[in-house]
Amino acid sequence: MFNSSPIQAWDGAAAFFSYAGSGGPVLWFWVSVILCIIPVLVSLKAEKAAEDKYK
Amino acid sequence: MTLEELEAAVMAANTINLEVYYYWCTAIMILIHAGFLMYEMGASRVKNTLASGTKNILAFAFMIPTFYMFGWWIYLAMINGFIPDFEAGAGGVPWSDSMGPNLQDHATGVFWGAFTLFACTTASIMSGAVIERIRMAAFIVLAVVLGSVVWNLSASWGWHYAGWMVTGWGYHDFGASGVVHIISGFFALGILINLGPRIGKYNDDGSPNVIKGHSLPMTCAGLMLIVFGFFGFLAGCLIFPGTDVSFDAVNWTNIYGQPTTLSAITFNTLMGVAGGIIGCYAMTRDPFWMMSGALCGIISVAAGMDVWDPSLCFAIAFAGGILGPWAAGIFERMGIDDAVGAVSVHGICGIWGVLAVGIFMGGYPEFSADIPPATFMGQFKGMIVMVLLGFIPGYVISLIFKMCGILRASDAIQRAGMDVEVVGTAYPEEIKS
Repeated sequence: MFNSSPIQAWDGAAAFFSYAGSGGPVLWFWVSVILCIIPVLVSLKAEKAAEDKYK
Repeated sequence: MTLEELEAAVMAANTINLEVYYYWCTAIMILIHAGFLMYEMGASRVKNTLASGTKNILAFAFMIPTFYMFGWWIYLAMINGFIPDFEAGAGGVPWSDSMGPNLQDHATGVFWGAFTLFACTTASIMSGAVIERIRMAAFIVLAVVLGSVVWNLSASWGWHYAGWMVTGWGYHDFGASGVVHIISGFFALGILINLGPRIGKYNDDGSPNVIKGHSLPMTCAGLMLIVFGFFGFLAGCLIFPGTDVSFDAVNWTNIYGQPTTLSAITFNTLMGVAGGIIGCYAMTRDPFWMMSGALCGIISVAAGMDVWDPSLCFAIAFAGGILGPWAAGIFERMGIDDAVGAVSVHGICGIWGVLAVGIFMGGYPEFSADIPPATFMGQFKGMIVMVLLGFIPGYVISLIFKMCGILRASDAIQRAGMDVEVVGTAYPEEIKS
Protein backbone atom coordinates (compact mmCIF):
# COMPACT_ATOMS: atom_id res chain seq x y z
CA MET A 1 0.00 0.00 0.00
CA PHE A 2 2.73 2.47 1.05
CA ASN A 3 5.97 2.50 -0.91
CA SER A 4 8.41 2.26 1.99
CA SER A 5 11.46 0.91 0.15
CA PRO A 6 14.45 3.28 0.15
CA ILE A 7 16.19 1.24 -2.56
CA GLN A 8 15.59 0.44 -6.21
CA ALA A 9 18.01 -2.49 -6.43
CA TRP A 10 19.90 -4.68 -3.97
CA ASP A 11 23.29 -4.15 -5.62
CA GLY A 12 25.17 -1.55 -3.60
CA ALA A 13 22.30 -1.05 -1.15
CA ALA A 14 23.10 0.14 2.38
CA ALA A 15 20.31 1.04 4.82
CA PHE A 16 17.30 -0.82 3.42
CA PHE A 17 14.82 -0.70 6.29
CA SER A 18 11.39 0.72 5.62
CA TYR A 19 11.34 4.49 5.01
CA ALA A 20 15.14 4.78 5.53
CA GLY A 21 16.46 8.16 4.44
CA SER A 22 13.06 9.84 4.65
CA GLY A 23 11.06 11.37 7.49
CA GLY A 24 9.40 8.00 8.16
CA PRO A 25 11.76 6.70 10.85
CA VAL A 26 11.45 9.98 12.77
CA LEU A 27 7.67 9.78 12.58
CA TRP A 28 7.67 6.16 13.78
CA PHE A 29 10.19 7.04 16.49
CA TRP A 30 7.77 9.57 17.98
CA VAL A 31 4.86 7.16 17.59
CA SER A 32 6.82 4.56 19.56
CA VAL A 33 7.66 7.15 22.23
CA ILE A 34 3.94 7.86 22.64
CA LEU A 35 3.21 4.14 22.77
CA CYS A 36 5.70 3.83 25.63
CA ILE A 37 4.03 6.63 27.55
CA ILE A 38 0.51 5.18 27.30
CA PRO A 39 1.23 2.14 29.55
CA VAL A 40 2.80 4.43 32.15
CA LEU A 41 -0.43 6.44 32.25
CA VAL A 42 -2.41 3.19 32.44
CA SER A 43 -0.26 2.16 35.42
CA LEU A 44 -0.83 5.45 37.18
CA LYS A 45 -4.57 5.19 36.70
CA ALA A 46 -4.70 1.57 37.93
CA GLU A 47 -2.52 2.32 40.93
CA LYS A 48 -4.64 5.31 41.88
CA ALA A 49 -7.78 3.18 41.66
CA ALA A 50 -6.20 0.54 43.92
CA GLU A 51 -4.96 3.16 46.38
CA ASP A 52 -8.41 4.75 46.56
CA LYS A 53 -10.10 1.37 47.02
CA TYR A 54 -7.88 0.40 49.98
CA LYS A 55 -7.65 3.85 51.54
CA MET B 1 47.92 -22.73 -2.29
CA THR B 2 46.36 -22.05 -5.68
CA LEU B 3 43.39 -19.76 -6.17
CA GLU B 4 41.19 -22.79 -6.86
CA GLU B 5 42.34 -24.47 -3.67
CA LEU B 6 41.71 -21.26 -1.73
CA GLU B 7 38.19 -20.98 -3.17
CA ALA B 8 37.50 -24.61 -2.33
CA ALA B 9 38.72 -24.06 1.24
CA VAL B 10 36.51 -20.98 1.66
CA MET B 11 33.52 -22.86 0.27
CA ALA B 12 34.21 -25.79 2.60
CA ALA B 13 34.45 -23.46 5.60
CA ASN B 14 31.19 -21.75 4.59
CA THR B 15 29.46 -25.10 4.20
CA ILE B 16 30.53 -26.24 7.66
CA ASN B 17 29.47 -22.87 9.11
CA LEU B 18 26.06 -23.30 7.48
CA GLU B 19 25.76 -26.74 9.03
CA VAL B 20 26.73 -25.44 12.47
CA TYR B 21 24.38 -22.45 12.19
CA TYR B 22 21.22 -24.44 11.43
CA TYR B 23 22.21 -27.17 13.88
CA TRP B 24 22.15 -24.64 16.72
CA CYS B 25 19.03 -22.91 15.42
CA THR B 26 17.34 -26.29 15.65
CA ALA B 27 18.64 -26.89 19.16
CA ILE B 28 17.47 -23.47 20.32
CA MET B 29 14.03 -24.10 18.81
CA ILE B 30 13.63 -27.09 21.11
CA LEU B 31 13.29 -24.50 23.86
CA ILE B 32 10.01 -23.45 22.23
CA HIS B 33 8.76 -26.89 23.19
CA ALA B 34 10.17 -26.73 26.68
CA GLY B 35 8.25 -23.46 26.91
CA PHE B 36 5.01 -24.82 25.50
CA LEU B 37 5.29 -27.76 27.88
CA MET B 38 5.55 -25.47 30.93
CA TYR B 39 2.98 -23.08 29.51
CA GLU B 40 0.30 -25.71 28.95
CA MET B 41 0.97 -27.62 32.15
CA GLY B 42 0.80 -24.40 34.14
CA ALA B 43 -2.40 -23.37 32.37
CA SER B 44 -4.04 -26.67 33.29
CA ARG B 45 -5.78 -27.40 36.56
CA VAL B 46 -3.93 -29.82 38.85
CA LYS B 47 -6.06 -32.78 37.79
CA ASN B 48 -5.14 -32.26 34.12
CA THR B 49 -1.49 -31.33 34.42
CA LEU B 50 0.16 -34.56 33.30
CA ALA B 51 -2.30 -35.17 30.49
CA SER B 52 -1.52 -31.72 29.08
CA GLY B 53 2.20 -32.39 29.38
CA THR B 54 1.92 -35.82 27.80
CA LYS B 55 0.06 -34.39 24.82
CA ASN B 56 2.67 -31.76 24.30
CA ILE B 57 5.58 -34.20 24.49
CA LEU B 58 3.87 -36.57 22.07
CA ALA B 59 3.17 -33.77 19.59
CA PHE B 60 6.90 -33.08 19.56
CA ALA B 61 7.84 -36.74 19.24
CA PHE B 62 5.33 -37.66 16.54
CA MET B 63 6.30 -34.71 14.38
CA ILE B 64 9.86 -35.93 13.94
CA PRO B 65 9.30 -39.36 12.29
CA THR B 66 6.25 -38.19 10.32
CA PHE B 67 8.14 -35.18 9.03
CA TYR B 68 10.85 -37.60 7.93
CA MET B 69 8.37 -40.03 6.36
CA PHE B 70 6.37 -37.54 4.30
CA GLY B 71 6.56 -33.98 5.65
CA TRP B 72 9.79 -32.92 3.98
CA TRP B 73 8.67 -34.45 0.68
CA ILE B 74 5.40 -32.51 0.82
CA TYR B 75 7.32 -29.27 1.35
CA LEU B 76 9.61 -29.88 -1.61
CA ALA B 77 7.05 -31.36 -3.99
CA MET B 78 3.84 -29.36 -3.52
CA ILE B 79 5.05 -25.98 -4.78
CA ASN B 80 2.38 -25.86 -7.50
CA GLY B 81 -0.65 -26.53 -5.28
CA PHE B 82 -2.18 -29.95 -4.74
CA ILE B 83 -0.47 -31.63 -7.71
CA PRO B 84 2.99 -32.85 -6.66
CA ASP B 85 6.12 -32.07 -8.66
CA PHE B 86 7.87 -35.42 -8.27
CA GLU B 87 11.14 -34.09 -9.65
CA ALA B 88 11.27 -31.24 -7.12
CA GLY B 89 10.35 -33.64 -4.33
CA ALA B 90 12.80 -36.38 -5.28
CA GLY B 91 15.33 -35.33 -2.66
CA GLY B 92 12.73 -35.50 0.10
CA VAL B 93 11.67 -39.13 -0.10
CA PRO B 94 13.06 -41.06 2.87
CA TRP B 95 15.07 -43.43 0.66
CA SER B 96 16.82 -40.58 -1.19
CA ASP B 97 20.61 -40.31 -0.78
CA SER B 98 20.12 -36.88 0.80
CA MET B 99 17.92 -38.18 3.61
CA GLY B 100 20.69 -39.70 5.66
CA PRO B 101 24.40 -39.33 6.39
CA ASN B 102 26.09 -38.24 3.16
CA LEU B 103 29.54 -36.63 2.85
CA GLN B 104 28.46 -34.72 -0.25
CA ASP B 105 25.40 -33.17 1.41
CA HIS B 106 25.92 -31.08 4.52
CA ALA B 107 22.68 -29.13 4.12
CA THR B 108 19.69 -31.45 3.89
CA GLY B 109 19.90 -32.81 7.41
CA VAL B 110 20.11 -29.44 9.12
CA PHE B 111 17.42 -27.89 6.89
CA TRP B 112 15.20 -30.91 7.52
CA GLY B 113 15.84 -30.54 11.25
CA ALA B 114 14.96 -26.85 11.28
CA PHE B 115 11.78 -27.44 9.28
CA THR B 116 10.86 -30.32 11.57
CA LEU B 117 11.11 -28.00 14.54
CA PHE B 118 8.92 -25.45 12.72
CA ALA B 119 6.41 -28.30 12.36
CA CYS B 120 6.67 -29.10 16.06
CA THR B 121 5.97 -25.47 16.85
CA THR B 122 2.93 -25.48 14.59
CA ALA B 123 1.48 -28.54 16.31
CA SER B 124 2.26 -27.22 19.79
CA ILE B 125 0.35 -24.03 19.10
CA MET B 126 -2.80 -26.06 18.54
CA SER B 127 -2.02 -28.24 21.54
CA GLY B 128 -2.60 -25.49 24.10
CA ALA B 129 -6.01 -24.51 22.78
CA VAL B 130 -7.55 -27.94 23.32
CA ILE B 131 -6.25 -28.90 26.76
CA GLU B 132 -8.39 -30.44 29.49
CA ARG B 133 -10.90 -32.27 27.27
CA ILE B 134 -9.43 -33.61 24.00
CA ARG B 135 -8.70 -37.33 23.80
CA MET B 136 -5.13 -38.44 23.24
CA ALA B 137 -5.45 -40.55 20.08
CA ALA B 138 -7.49 -37.88 18.29
CA PHE B 139 -5.01 -35.25 19.37
CA ILE B 140 -2.04 -37.19 18.03
CA VAL B 141 -3.63 -37.64 14.61
CA LEU B 142 -4.68 -33.98 14.45
CA ALA B 143 -1.19 -32.86 15.47
CA VAL B 144 0.41 -35.00 12.75
CA VAL B 145 -2.00 -33.69 10.11
CA LEU B 146 -1.28 -30.11 11.17
CA GLY B 147 2.47 -30.35 11.61
CA SER B 148 3.47 -32.85 8.96
CA VAL B 149 0.90 -32.18 6.24
CA VAL B 150 -0.91 -28.83 6.45
CA TRP B 151 2.02 -26.68 7.56
CA ASN B 152 4.16 -28.27 4.86
CA LEU B 153 1.60 -27.37 2.22
CA SER B 154 1.41 -23.78 3.43
CA ALA B 155 5.20 -23.53 3.49
CA SER B 156 5.54 -25.08 0.06
CA TRP B 157 3.05 -22.56 -1.34
CA GLY B 158 4.13 -19.40 0.47
CA TRP B 159 7.53 -20.04 2.06
CA HIS B 160 9.49 -21.46 -0.87
CA TYR B 161 11.07 -19.31 -3.58
CA ALA B 162 9.23 -21.39 -6.21
CA GLY B 163 5.90 -21.67 -4.34
CA TRP B 164 2.87 -20.65 -6.38
CA MET B 165 1.79 -17.94 -3.94
CA VAL B 166 5.26 -16.42 -4.13
CA THR B 167 5.68 -16.58 -7.89
CA GLY B 168 2.05 -15.65 -8.53
CA TRP B 169 1.24 -13.00 -5.92
CA GLY B 170 4.61 -11.96 -4.48
CA TYR B 171 3.48 -13.31 -1.09
CA HIS B 172 6.02 -12.25 1.54
CA ASP B 173 6.12 -13.94 4.93
CA PHE B 174 9.69 -13.87 6.23
CA GLY B 175 9.07 -15.21 9.75
CA ALA B 176 5.99 -17.33 9.06
CA SER B 177 3.19 -15.11 10.41
CA GLY B 178 0.93 -16.83 7.92
CA VAL B 179 2.47 -20.17 7.07
CA VAL B 180 2.89 -21.19 10.72
CA HIS B 181 0.72 -18.95 12.89
CA ILE B 182 -2.42 -18.39 10.82
CA ILE B 183 -2.36 -22.06 9.85
CA SER B 184 -2.09 -23.35 13.40
CA GLY B 185 -4.46 -20.76 14.88
CA PHE B 186 -7.25 -21.49 12.42
CA PHE B 187 -6.64 -25.24 12.47
CA ALA B 188 -7.15 -24.98 16.24
CA LEU B 189 -10.33 -22.94 15.71
CA GLY B 190 -11.74 -25.68 13.46
CA ILE B 191 -11.11 -28.24 16.20
CA LEU B 192 -12.49 -26.05 18.99
CA ILE B 193 -15.82 -25.65 17.22
CA ASN B 194 -16.31 -29.42 17.25
CA LEU B 195 -14.59 -30.09 20.56
CA GLY B 196 -16.75 -27.74 22.60
CA PRO B 197 -15.86 -25.95 25.83
CA ARG B 198 -14.56 -27.46 29.05
CA ILE B 199 -17.16 -28.38 31.64
CA GLY B 200 -17.84 -25.30 33.72
CA LYS B 201 -16.53 -22.79 31.22
CA TYR B 202 -19.96 -21.41 30.40
CA ASN B 203 -23.01 -20.78 32.55
CA ASP B 204 -26.53 -21.66 31.45
CA ASP B 205 -27.05 -18.12 30.19
CA GLY B 206 -23.93 -18.44 28.00
CA SER B 207 -21.75 -16.13 30.07
CA PRO B 208 -18.14 -17.37 30.38
CA ASN B 209 -16.29 -18.25 33.58
CA VAL B 210 -12.56 -17.87 34.09
CA ILE B 211 -10.88 -21.27 34.53
CA LYS B 212 -7.53 -20.57 36.11
CA GLY B 213 -4.54 -22.81 35.55
CA HIS B 214 -2.77 -24.17 38.60
CA SER B 215 0.55 -22.33 38.10
CA LEU B 216 0.71 -18.91 36.53
CA PRO B 217 4.45 -18.63 37.34
CA MET B 218 5.09 -21.87 35.41
CA THR B 219 3.05 -20.54 32.51
CA CYS B 220 4.89 -17.20 32.45
CA ALA B 221 8.30 -18.88 32.65
CA GLY B 222 7.25 -21.18 29.83
CA LEU B 223 6.25 -18.25 27.70
CA MET B 224 9.64 -16.65 28.30
CA LEU B 225 11.30 -19.87 27.11
CA ILE B 226 9.15 -19.74 23.98
CA VAL B 227 10.42 -16.22 23.35
CA PHE B 228 14.00 -17.50 23.72
CA GLY B 229 13.26 -20.32 21.31
CA PHE B 230 11.91 -17.87 18.76
CA PHE B 231 15.39 -16.46 18.39
CA GLY B 232 16.32 -19.84 16.94
CA PHE B 233 13.13 -19.99 14.91
CA LEU B 234 13.56 -16.58 13.32
CA ALA B 235 17.30 -16.97 12.78
CA GLY B 236 16.46 -20.24 11.06
CA CYS B 237 14.32 -18.30 8.58
CA LEU B 238 17.50 -16.80 7.10
CA ILE B 239 19.50 -18.45 4.32
CA PHE B 240 23.22 -18.64 5.03
CA PRO B 241 25.45 -16.97 2.39
CA GLY B 242 28.34 -18.28 0.35
CA THR B 243 27.54 -21.95 -0.15
CA ASP B 244 26.16 -24.17 -2.90
CA VAL B 245 22.65 -23.83 -1.48
CA SER B 246 22.80 -20.07 -0.84
CA PHE B 247 21.10 -17.35 -2.86
CA ASP B 248 23.93 -14.86 -2.32
CA ALA B 249 27.71 -15.12 -2.02
CA VAL B 250 28.12 -12.57 0.76
CA ASN B 251 24.71 -11.55 2.14
CA TRP B 252 22.22 -13.38 4.27
CA THR B 253 18.91 -13.62 2.44
CA ASN B 254 15.34 -14.43 3.31
CA ILE B 255 13.79 -17.61 1.97
CA TYR B 256 12.77 -15.73 -1.19
CA GLY B 257 16.36 -14.73 -1.96
CA GLN B 258 16.14 -11.04 -0.94
CA PRO B 259 19.18 -9.85 1.01
CA THR B 260 18.87 -9.02 4.70
CA THR B 261 21.02 -9.28 7.82
CA LEU B 262 21.04 -11.12 11.11
CA SER B 263 21.19 -7.65 12.66
CA ALA B 264 17.85 -6.80 11.05
CA ILE B 265 16.33 -9.85 12.69
CA THR B 266 17.91 -8.95 16.03
CA PHE B 267 16.56 -5.37 15.96
CA ASN B 268 13.09 -6.46 15.04
CA THR B 269 12.74 -9.58 17.17
CA LEU B 270 13.57 -7.57 20.28
CA MET B 271 11.37 -4.63 19.29
CA GLY B 272 8.57 -7.06 18.47
CA VAL B 273 8.81 -8.79 21.85
CA ALA B 274 8.84 -5.46 23.70
CA GLY B 275 6.03 -3.90 21.68
CA GLY B 276 3.80 -6.91 22.22
CA ILE B 277 4.41 -7.04 25.98
CA ILE B 278 3.83 -3.32 26.44
CA GLY B 279 0.74 -3.35 24.22
CA CYS B 280 -0.74 -6.24 26.19
CA TYR B 281 0.10 -4.52 29.46
CA ALA B 282 -1.73 -1.40 28.33
CA MET B 283 -4.70 -3.58 27.39
CA THR B 284 -4.86 -6.04 30.30
CA ARG B 285 -2.19 -5.49 33.02
CA ASP B 286 -2.27 -9.29 33.29
CA PRO B 287 1.09 -11.15 33.39
CA PHE B 288 -0.36 -14.12 31.50
CA TRP B 289 -1.37 -11.83 28.69
CA MET B 290 1.82 -9.79 28.88
CA MET B 291 3.88 -12.89 28.15
CA SER B 292 1.37 -13.97 25.53
CA GLY B 293 1.80 -10.42 24.29
CA ALA B 294 5.45 -11.15 23.58
CA LEU B 295 4.21 -13.80 21.17
CA CYS B 296 1.56 -11.42 19.79
CA GLY B 297 4.34 -8.95 19.09
CA ILE B 298 6.72 -11.40 17.45
CA ILE B 299 3.97 -12.90 15.30
CA SER B 300 2.70 -9.47 14.25
CA VAL B 301 6.10 -8.37 13.00
CA ALA B 302 7.45 -11.71 11.78
CA ALA B 303 6.26 -11.53 8.17
CA GLY B 304 8.22 -8.34 7.46
CA MET B 305 10.97 -8.35 10.07
CA ASP B 306 13.62 -8.64 7.38
CA VAL B 307 12.98 -5.01 6.45
CA TRP B 308 11.06 -3.22 9.22
CA ASP B 309 12.29 0.06 10.61
CA PRO B 310 12.63 -0.87 14.33
CA SER B 311 10.32 1.93 15.50
CA LEU B 312 7.65 0.91 12.99
CA CYS B 313 8.21 -2.68 14.10
CA PHE B 314 7.55 -1.65 17.72
CA ALA B 315 4.31 0.07 16.71
CA ILE B 316 3.11 -2.97 14.71
CA ALA B 317 3.92 -5.23 17.66
CA PHE B 318 2.17 -2.88 20.11
CA ALA B 319 -0.95 -3.07 17.93
CA GLY B 320 -0.62 -6.88 17.96
CA GLY B 321 -0.43 -6.75 21.75
CA ILE B 322 -3.77 -4.91 21.80
CA LEU B 323 -5.30 -7.14 19.15
CA GLY B 324 -4.51 -10.48 20.81
CA PRO B 325 -6.45 -10.15 24.07
CA TRP B 326 -9.19 -8.16 22.36
CA ALA B 327 -9.79 -10.97 19.86
CA ALA B 328 -9.60 -13.56 22.65
CA GLY B 329 -12.47 -11.81 24.41
CA ILE B 330 -14.56 -11.92 21.26
CA PHE B 331 -13.93 -15.63 20.72
CA GLU B 332 -14.76 -16.33 24.36
CA ARG B 333 -18.08 -14.50 24.05
CA MET B 334 -18.81 -16.50 20.90
CA GLY B 335 -18.59 -19.72 22.93
CA ILE B 336 -15.12 -20.75 21.72
CA ASP B 337 -13.21 -22.07 24.74
CA ASP B 338 -9.60 -21.52 23.70
CA ALA B 339 -7.75 -22.35 26.93
CA VAL B 340 -4.61 -20.35 26.11
CA GLY B 341 -5.80 -17.84 23.53
CA ALA B 342 -3.99 -19.64 20.69
CA VAL B 343 -6.52 -18.67 18.02
CA SER B 344 -6.22 -14.99 18.78
CA VAL B 345 -2.49 -14.87 19.58
CA HIS B 346 -1.43 -16.94 16.57
CA GLY B 347 -4.34 -16.80 14.14
CA ILE B 348 -5.46 -13.18 14.49
CA CYS B 349 -2.02 -11.68 15.09
CA GLY B 350 -0.77 -13.80 12.18
CA ILE B 351 -3.39 -12.16 9.96
CA TRP B 352 -2.26 -8.74 11.18
CA GLY B 353 1.37 -9.64 10.47
CA VAL B 354 0.66 -10.75 6.91
CA LEU B 355 -1.48 -7.68 6.18
CA ALA B 356 1.07 -5.33 7.77
CA VAL B 357 3.50 -6.35 5.04
CA GLY B 358 0.90 -5.41 2.45
CA ILE B 359 0.36 -2.05 4.12
CA PHE B 360 3.87 -0.96 5.07
CA MET B 361 6.30 -2.89 2.87
CA GLY B 362 5.77 -1.69 -0.69
CA GLY B 363 8.37 -1.13 -3.36
CA TYR B 364 11.15 -3.54 -2.43
CA PRO B 365 13.00 -5.13 -5.35
CA GLU B 366 12.66 -8.87 -5.64
CA PHE B 367 15.47 -11.39 -5.95
CA SER B 368 14.27 -12.69 -9.28
CA ALA B 369 12.16 -11.37 -12.14
CA ASP B 370 10.02 -14.48 -11.66
CA ILE B 371 8.73 -13.11 -8.36
CA PRO B 372 6.36 -10.10 -8.43
CA PRO B 373 6.66 -7.46 -5.69
CA ALA B 374 4.71 -7.79 -2.46
CA THR B 375 1.40 -5.92 -2.59
CA PHE B 376 -1.56 -5.48 -0.28
CA MET B 377 -3.79 -7.60 -2.53
CA GLY B 378 -1.16 -10.32 -2.78
CA GLN B 379 -0.86 -10.41 1.00
CA PHE B 380 -4.65 -10.28 1.43
CA LYS B 381 -5.21 -13.20 -0.93
CA GLY B 382 -2.38 -15.10 0.75
CA MET B 383 -3.98 -14.49 4.14
CA ILE B 384 -7.32 -15.88 2.90
CA VAL B 385 -5.56 -19.00 1.57
CA MET B 386 -3.82 -19.51 4.91
CA VAL B 387 -7.04 -19.10 6.91
CA LEU B 388 -8.87 -21.63 4.73
CA LEU B 389 -5.93 -24.04 4.52
CA GLY B 390 -5.72 -24.07 8.31
CA PHE B 391 -9.41 -24.05 9.18
CA ILE B 392 -10.90 -26.56 6.73
CA PRO B 393 -8.80 -29.64 7.58
CA GLY B 394 -8.95 -28.89 11.31
CA TYR B 395 -12.73 -28.60 11.17
CA VAL B 396 -13.41 -31.56 8.87
CA ILE B 397 -11.11 -34.08 10.56
CA SER B 398 -12.25 -33.13 14.06
CA LEU B 399 -15.88 -33.36 12.88
CA ILE B 400 -15.23 -36.92 11.68
CA PHE B 401 -13.63 -37.76 15.02
CA LYS B 402 -16.57 -36.19 16.82
CA MET B 403 -19.03 -38.28 14.81
CA CYS B 404 -16.98 -41.38 15.69
CA GLY B 405 -17.08 -40.42 19.38
CA ILE B 406 -13.30 -40.25 19.77
CA LEU B 407 -12.71 -36.49 19.98
CA ARG B 408 -13.86 -35.40 23.42
CA ALA B 409 -13.36 -37.01 26.81
CA SER B 410 -16.53 -37.90 28.68
CA ASP B 411 -17.92 -35.57 31.32
CA ALA B 412 -17.00 -38.12 33.98
CA ILE B 413 -13.36 -38.19 32.87
CA GLN B 414 -13.24 -34.42 32.72
CA ARG B 415 -14.60 -34.16 36.26
CA ALA B 416 -12.16 -36.76 37.54
CA GLY B 417 -9.32 -35.09 35.62
CA MET B 418 -7.68 -36.05 32.36
CA ASP B 419 -4.69 -37.39 34.30
CA VAL B 420 -6.63 -40.58 35.02
CA GLU B 421 -6.08 -41.41 31.33
CA VAL B 422 -2.30 -41.23 31.70
CA VAL B 423 -0.12 -42.37 34.56
CA GLY B 424 -1.49 -40.62 37.59
CA THR B 425 -1.30 -37.21 39.16
CA ALA B 426 1.38 -34.57 38.85
CA TYR B 427 1.95 -33.83 42.51
CA PRO B 428 2.53 -36.11 45.48
CA GLU B 429 0.17 -34.22 47.71
CA GLU B 430 -3.31 -32.93 47.07
CA ILE B 431 -3.10 -29.39 45.75
CA LYS B 432 -6.27 -27.47 45.17
CA SER B 433 -6.60 -26.29 41.60
